[in-house]
Amino acid sequence: MQPDLERELIRKCKAGDARFYEPLVRAYEPAGLRLAVAMMGNAEDAQDALQEAFIKTYDTLHRFDLRKPFGPWFFQILRNQCRDMLRSRNAKFRVEALDGNVEETPGDAERGPERSRQRNAARELLWRGLERIGTEHREILVLKELEGFHYGEIAQILEIPEGTVASRLFHARRALRDALVDMNAEYPS
Amino acid sequence: MTGRISSEDLMRYLDGELSPDQRALVEVELATSTELQREVAIYRALKEDFRELSFHPATRRASVWDRVNVRVTRPTGWILALAGAAVWMAYGAYVFATSPYDPWEKLATAAVAIGVLLLLASVIWERYRELDKDPYRDVYR
Repeated sequence: MQPDLERELIRKCKAGDARFYEPLVRAYEPAGLRLAVAMMGNAEDAQDALQEAFIKTYDTLHRFDLRKPFGPWFFQILRNQCRDMLRSRNAKFRVEALDGNVEETPGDAERGPERSRQRNAARELLWRGLERIGTEHREILVLKELEGFHYGEIAQILEIPEGTVASRLFHARRALRDALVDMNAEYPS
Repeated sequence: MTGRISSEDLMRYLDGELSPDQRALVEVELATSTELQREVAIYRALKEDFRELSFHPATRRASVWDRVNVRVTRPTGWILALAGAAVWMAYGAYVFATSPYDPWEKLATAAVAIGVLLLLASVIWERYRELDKDPYRDVYR
């Protein structure tokens, strides 16, 4: 979404017109769902977290600084929501059947059933690897590798100094690699 | 730490977060250190896996917008409706209390009104308590 359009929508929402919130929700829903699924481990909890995050975001829009980008601010709220839900429900990162969480990428079908099966198995392995590492490691990997945020944005979302992002990423990547090696994945060790 | 390159700088290098000068320094080190080359290969493989296997949450699911919309617009509606109802009820009670009808007429009418209000409140309360357990709450026509 264009930053100018985004700012205008937020300005209207701040003025109390909730109709202008819909384009923002629809624009951020796919990425938000990806992050929430990766943090919660299943689509059902992820949708609940996403819904609550959008409501909290709307309720606190009056505090939002229009000079800043909306995305990192929203993802910060979503990340906190996921963490709160994981804590309060005593829920653990719960891995559902893969079919419930992900769809095949467009290339899968073109590459044939065997390739598709291999990719699904590899996805499952990576998913299980994410399950084994801690929430702190998982969230930073998701923000970097799935959403492609820059270090400055990750620092804002995770509320940590920018200098700490590289260090956290290093530990997270090492933890994931170790988890994958433990699961006999063919990985350089 | 891998040679003269810190783990943090290695991550910044992999993620394209270094300045061109810093990047050149890492590449000089990379050209001579097999240990560093191995480290880079490991993390590149991991990044590649994420890219190749990126999760695409199922798009079959309904958007959360409907439920968000209900929650962000409903409070204002409730506040206005309840505030308006409270004003009208207070005014009605005042008019009723100061009207010239016989006390028994007032008592009978008040009993009917209070009874209806209590029934309505109990139904609303019951519905509210059941809302979280309703298995059909997310089913749309």
